[in-house]
Amino acid sequence: MLRLNQANIEAIHAHGIASYPYEGCGLLLGRAEPDLNIVKHIFPVPNSWEVEEEKTARFLITDRDMLRAELAAAERDLDIVGVFHSHPDSPPVASPRDLAWAAWPGHSYLITEITGRRPGQSRSWQLLQDRSGFVEEPIAIDQP
Amino acid sequence: MPVFRIPTPLRPYSGGNSQVTVGGDTVGAALEDLTGQYPDLRQHLYDGRELRSFVNIYLNQEDIRFGDGVNTAVGQDDTLMIIPSIAGG
Repeated sequence: MLRLNQANIEAIHAHGIASYPYEGCGLLLGRAEPDLNIVKHIFPVPNSWEVEEEKTARFLITDRDMLRAELAAAERDLDIVGVFHSHPDSPPVASPRDLAWAAWPGHSYLITEITGRRPGQSRSWQLLQDRSGFVEEPIAIDQP
Repeated sequence: MPVFRIPTPLRPYSGGNSQVTVGGDTVGAALEDLTGQYPDLRQHLYDGRELRSFVNIYLNQEDIRFGDGVNTAVGQDDTLMIIPSIAGG
């Protein structure tokens, strides 16, 4: 399960809208418990995919930006518990590219559809241990 | 002795530890020691004998690719980090 609060969701929506029509991306900082990733803070990073016009359907978080996220997490006594990215005008379903270029099982992969600069549905995915695919996980949103 | 910081998703394979003290005087030797202590880490770091393409090793916050790669010397007070790049679409 992935747990976030309303402010996290609104920040993810805002980043996706600001990135539109390109995919926006970033890291989820928080605490990992058994079968539960709890988000405390989101850390947007640039979409560093090398071909500009392909950023509408591709994203890349460089290792340099991942290092910044790790250091930011450590400053807050948090961990990186997942990755978020947006799907402009397409459903928030983990794609073959998301699968091919994922890092490790255990991260929550949160995908948000952004349609015409409006936030749509978010769905979250966990990479299977054998890396053969993703399984969807429930999202819990803490209300203020 | 040098220390490897372990990313959150890999801690189930490092005995739950967020840091592992390792031996060795190069990055390569430190990696061998890490996966020797925790063999279950190997499948997540390596594809065959090579580090997986998305896995990057940083020594004191410097990418070893800008040094001598796995032959980069490691000192007693050094910190090693395992930093992935992540892509999708």
